[in-house]
Amino acid sequence: MSATTSTTGAPPSGTPVHRVSFWRVLRAEWIKFRTLRSTVWTAVVTAVVMVGFALMMAAIMRASTGNPEMQEGMSQDPGLQAMGMTGTTVITLGYSFGQLAIAVLAALVVTNEYSTGMVRSTFAAVPQRLPALWAKLVVIVVATVVIISLALGVAYLVTMPLLDDAGMAVDLGDAEQVRALLGCVLYLATVAAFSLAVGTLMRHTAGAIFTLVALFFVLPIIFSIVVAATDAAWTDQVNKLLPSVAGERIIATGPTPETLLEPWTGYGVLAAYTVALLVGAAVAIRRRDA
Amino acid sequence: MIEARDLSKRYGDKLAVDDVTFSVRPGVVTGFLGPNGAGKSTTMRMIMGLDRPTSGSVTVNGRPYAQHRAPLAEVGALLEAKAVHPGRTARQHLQALAATHGIPTTRVDEVIDLTGLTAVARKRVGGFSLGMGQRLGIAVALLGDPRTLILDEPVNGLDPEGVLWVRNLARYLAEEGRTVFLSSHLMSEVALTADHVIVIGKGRILADTPVRELLDGASRRRVRVRTPQGAELAAALRREGAEVEVSDDGALDVAGLDAARVGELAAGAAVVLHELTPVSSTLEDAYMALTADAVEYHAEDVPAVPATTPGGADR
Repeated sequence: MSATTSTTGAPPSGTPVHRVSFWRVLRAEWIKFRTLRSTVWTAVVTAVVMVGFALMMAAIMRASTGNPEMQEGMSQDPGLQAMGMTGTTVITLGYSFGQLAIAVLAALVVTNEYSTGMVRSTFAAVPQRLPALWAKLVVIVVATVVIISLALGVAYLVTMPLLDDAGMAVDLGDAEQVRALLGCVLYLATVAAFSLAVGTLMRHTAGAIFTLVALFFVLPIIFSIVVAATDAAWTDQVNKLLPSVAGERIIATGPTPETLLEPWTGYGVLAAYTVALLVGAAVAIRRRDA
Repeated sequence: MIEARDLSKRYGDKLAVDDVTFSVRPGVVTGFLGPNGAGKSTTMRMIMGLDRPTSGSVTVNGRPYAQHRAPLAEVGALLEAKAVHPGRTARQHLQALAATHGIPTTRVDEVIDLTGLTAVARKRVGGFSLGMGQRLGIAVALLGDPRTLILDEPVNGLDPEGVLWVRNLARYLAEEGRTVFLSSHLMSEVALTADHVIVIGKGRILADTPVRELLDGASRRRVRVRTPQGAELAAALRREGAEVEVSDDGALDVAGLDAARVGELAAGAAVVLHELTPVSSTLEDAYMALTADAVEYHAEDVPAVPATTPGGADR
């Protein structure tokens, strides 16, 4: 590089430098979040896929209304019945994909700093460290709330004519349906916080993503098979306390099956895990070498 | 001002830094010299509060680094490994760090210009050369206009122009009354840049002295003598307490006496001299002598190549 360089490092006296405050750290974390292409793309893809899922399901519902055979088939499908298929179920259908994208996004917010060495720059600027962790938490939770609210809003609008035809229009005057819609936002925001904590504790991208995919995707599938295959009561107990199985009750509508928790109880279980992990992350980030 | 007291760091079985005590004063450039693996970077990370000391303490400008309310205004650091996300541009990286201290964008652009990064400021750091990465690290260090600068191997990967620039920058900052602490594994680099040097080997402080004294003290002067009466002269010199070795070409290699004294003794013993040459050892020799026992990774001995430029190649 043959750039011309000044021979002196004379900083003009009076460069304004202020003390570190939470708001300043929050601004720094927001800059970091929005300046990575990967985060921006993940956010956009998550929203688009969630709308896509809703649209697809709404189209299927509409097609089935004019088709008695299909309707009969669906009414006999135990899976669909368990879901208590309503308009909100259609709109929020993409959350199971969305939770994986959000989990990876949130874990990466921390693990990419460890893998690149950026964390040393971060901790040199914010040596107390905890403000940086909480600022990351605020950024990823707020970003998730915005992304998911937008996705659900768009999904609501584009599926409206289809769902009307199918007789499944979402009723925003119905407390349960509103709870399910807001619950979807709340659930994914909590998944983001949960994943940020896991990323902070594990520090390695691959390890954190493996753990999160196992917790939110693989274990629920395994348990749904095990629960169906055995009569052992403990499998029901463990299954309903899995982070995703418990947490996603907040998105469900209709009567609560015996084997699962009530919506708010279930969400409370996920929230408790999240708080515990965040406390662990806070302790770890303060104690460990960077 | 940096003050370390009984500072130790243990990683598992390995004692990386072993009970070191030193202070780095403002107004001068202090070199931190030692072979690779000697504990330089570990010590610097402890100063920055990145690694937690196993025992002991270290303060910067009177307080542990983490207790400063605006740490970037106290200490600017260039840390050895790239501490940057490769997906961000240089400017974005600086802006994110500046935001934590409310430092305005004008200052970000200033340090970009100052470090010669203007042309690449909006390019992603992933594509930077080692030298450009070093310049970005120095830009980060200068961002908060700090009273103390910690530069870990600042000239690594820089072109000759860059090396000269870093040297002048370090001196200039020290002249302004700032504390400048700069590590290197090259004696010549420290000799050219620093006023004071702290030598570390295997985690222990081996020397803490003005650079000039280290050079004078550690370089043992030798005298090379050629004479047809080698055995006679060697005996006379040994009686005076000199160490005498006969080299392959028959010349005597004398340590412990200066050239004048060797000449007098030769005259006294009526020995004819064909050559009498004072040989001063190089900076590298001095450094090697000091750290010989403290080198972490020894290479197999290779036949010495005669040095053509005393003091290293990049003088």
